[in-house]
Amino acid sequence: MTRRFLTHEEMASLVAELVAAGTRVIAPVCAKDNAEQIDYMPIRKFEDAKLGVSLPRRSLKEFFLPPSEVLLYYVQTKDAVDIREVPTEPPPQVILGAMPCDAAALEVVDKVMSWGYRDELWFGRRESTTIVTLLCGVMDSSCLCTTVGLGPDSSRGSDVLLVPVEGGFAARLVTSKGEVLLADRGQAVNEALQNSAEAVQSEARKKLKQTLPAIPAEFADWLSKNFDNPVWKTLALRCHGCGACAAFCPTCHCFDIVDEHDSAEEGSRRRNWDSCQTSKFTVHSSGHNPRQSQSERFRQRMQHKFSIYPKRFEEILCTGCGRCSRICPGGMDLPEILGSLLAMAETKPEGSAQ
Amino acid sequence: MKELQELARKLLSDGTVKVVIGYEEGPHGIRAAFITDPAQSEKLVFDKRCVQNLVAYLNPRRKHLIQLGKPAIVVKGCDARSVAGLIREKQIERGNVVVIAMRCGGVLENPENDSELTCETVSVRCAGCDVREPKLYDYILGVLPPEPPVNPARAEQIAVLKKMSSAERWQFWTEELSRCVRCHACREACPMCFCVQCTADKAQPQWIDPSATPRANRAWQTMRVLHQAGRCVDCLECERACPEHIPLGLLARFVADAVERRFDYKACEDPSVPAPLGLYRSDDEEEFIR
Amino acid sequence: MSDGVKQETISTWSPKIVAFVCNWCTYTGADLAGTSRLKMDANVRVIRLTCSSRVNPLFIIKAFERGADGVIVSGCHTGDCHYSTGNYYARRRFAILHDLLDFMGAEQDRVTFSWVSASEGNKWQQVVNETTARIKALGPLHVYQEQKGGEAQ
Repeated sequence: MTRRFLTHEEMASLVAELVAAGTRVIAPVCAKDNAEQIDYMPIRKFEDAKLGVSLPRRSLKEFFLPPSEVLLYYVQTKDAVDIREVPTEPPPQVILGAMPCDAAALEVVDKVMSWGYRDELWFGRRESTTIVTLLCGVMDSSCLCTTVGLGPDSSRGSDVLLVPVEGGFAARLVTSKGEVLLADRGQAVNEALQNSAEAVQSEARKKLKQTLPAIPAEFADWLSKNFDNPVWKTLALRCHGCGACAAFCPTCHCFDIVDEHDSAEEGSRRRNWDSCQTSKFTVHSSGHNPRQSQSERFRQRMQHKFSIYPKRFEEILCTGCGRCSRICPGGMDLPEILGSLLAMAETKPEGSAQ
Repeated sequence: MKELQELARKLLSDGTVKVVIGYEEGPHGIRAAFITDPAQSEKLVFDKRCVQNLVAYLNPRRKHLIQLGKPAIVVKGCDARSVAGLIREKQIERGNVVVIAMRCGGVLENPENDSELTCETVSVRCAGCDVREPKLYDYILGVLPPEPPVNPARAEQIAVLKKMSSAERWQFWTEELSRCVRCHACREACPMCFCVQCTADKAQPQWIDPSATPRANRAWQTMRVLHQAGRCVDCLECERACPEHIPLGLLARFVADAVERRFDYKACEDPSVPAPLGLYRSDDEEEFIR
Repeated sequence: MSDGVKQETISTWSPKIVAFVCNWCTYTGADLAGTSRLKMDANVRVIRLTCSSRVNPLFIIKAFERGADGVIVSGCHTGDCHYSTGNYYARRRFAILHDLLDFMGAEQDRVTFSWVSASEGNKWQQVVNETTARIKALGPLHVYQEQKGGEAQ
């Protein structure tokens, strides 16, 4: 794994060259509606980026699985239906200053997107995107990255990992895509710089405010054995079932497919973000709903993320970004909930349906 | 606060109610509390950080709450109007909920930044409050504080919008609604959005496209606020719930003002006062009809 | 054909106007206008409903989303509703819709509300022609088509 040192000026000229070549560069910037909010948005120059200020409001998910995307267009003529597919090889883009939790989420979701069927739209964008992650220094008490096996310096899902040092960045070229992006820019990293970068990294770990330990391997089994545990009846009383958590979660990926008509003859087939927390998610065409109340729906969320997905793909479907806890209008808090479930699992490893 | 905790303890111990829905301190500030054990009553708080309107938790769709049993709910005078709304529209029966009303002198716009109530920190919904002494209650607690300061921010924003040209207003809403991802947090947090099947969820036919496109987002928000006309109590849960901070409160206030101006109706705590769009007067204005 | 809208130049454009009319008054009035051979612009597509009160604001929004450049909503004069009170309720609903559309930046003049009775063939002619002229002046409503959300990012 090669390492390079890039000055801020070198970073700025990298961005300028990418933009000039028509590559879209996405970075955290001040939100248009509120300067104190950070959003991932396209930038024209490096100075527009606000790196390391705070976790962006939305995750990187929307650049790979948009909130609403067209799958095909159709035109109906008298005798036929003319289908027009959408391109699956989008133009190249670079994400600069991704949060480690957001980058890691992409690798986690890759597993389901290639399960039995390779999602061309997802992987088209994955392949055409280079991800440059920035070491995280903005953790708060909603964060859970170390609990799910990651950390502020995780390089999962990254092509390049940047550690901010004096005068620029110590860049770790994690993948060959990362090597292609940085090519022969920057200088070799000497020992002093290496030590400096490592010091920054261990400082970052010290800033963690998480108190939950890493989730033990047995937790997935405990959850599935405790599907009928009465605790589920009261865990989600304050949950409104809105699905905001799923929308802002970097690993939630469920979608609904709809056909939308613009006229009697023309329309499009789309896929839209959906969430298992909404009341209609599991309604059958008969009208029956196997998940009748929010307690069952919330149970599903926890089971899927911490039991079902891990058992199938050996990945926890959570990278600990904490967005769900921060935005929940009902005050649900994942560290609190996970904490109480983990404590239950520890004291009663067999669990009980009581 | 002690008064409230003791009342809750009593109501739970003697079986009058099975759950007290109130406010507690959570990891992210004040949030709803669901006290079923009298010993937990100390968790209940009430102060100027208690902005949230909790009446959405009385929605009869929420089976996991209904099965807890008869609730008591802590409300401010403004929230009590939502209770009246649910009773008016036959979603709950008056006898099936114990209303604990708190005298209130205003709440904070951003309760995470706990501070004194000033015209900059007070919630915009407190402007013009005439229910510091609630009228709908089974129990009324607290001492009557002075009138809250008036936060002019929202009225100013609406005035700015009204001065814009129609094209500028179109642009404003297109931009604001571009952030909408159709999570429907606004709907779920709203005490009056209790429909078992929302029009937006109906797929045969699909009246409101579910996709997060500018066109469909606009249709969704227009219809939601229209369905709230004369029913909305301007609690601003929609705006507070929105993870993208879309200023839905501007729409709520605008429609409430239109309803007041045209039909001389303001949201009230009396369930026997009928909702204005279920009524008419033969001399209603029709200046817009040719 | 990326957004499915056929490009038309202004000179070939003719407004598409949808009219939601009540069966008892306006529809009959429109019929009278027809049998009286009154000259009317041919841009209006009439949708007959039992009462103006049947008009859900969603119909109006949907008509614009599907390509209408203008919408007419017409019913009985107040006091003359076949169902006694339908149009009174409708009037309240339309009043709020009218105000809200303007607040959200829609061109208020694209929606025309009218009361036209069964004997007012002339009035229907007036409503149709005047509305068509007004919509022609406003131009085609591209903005809804443009905003339906196009290619994947």
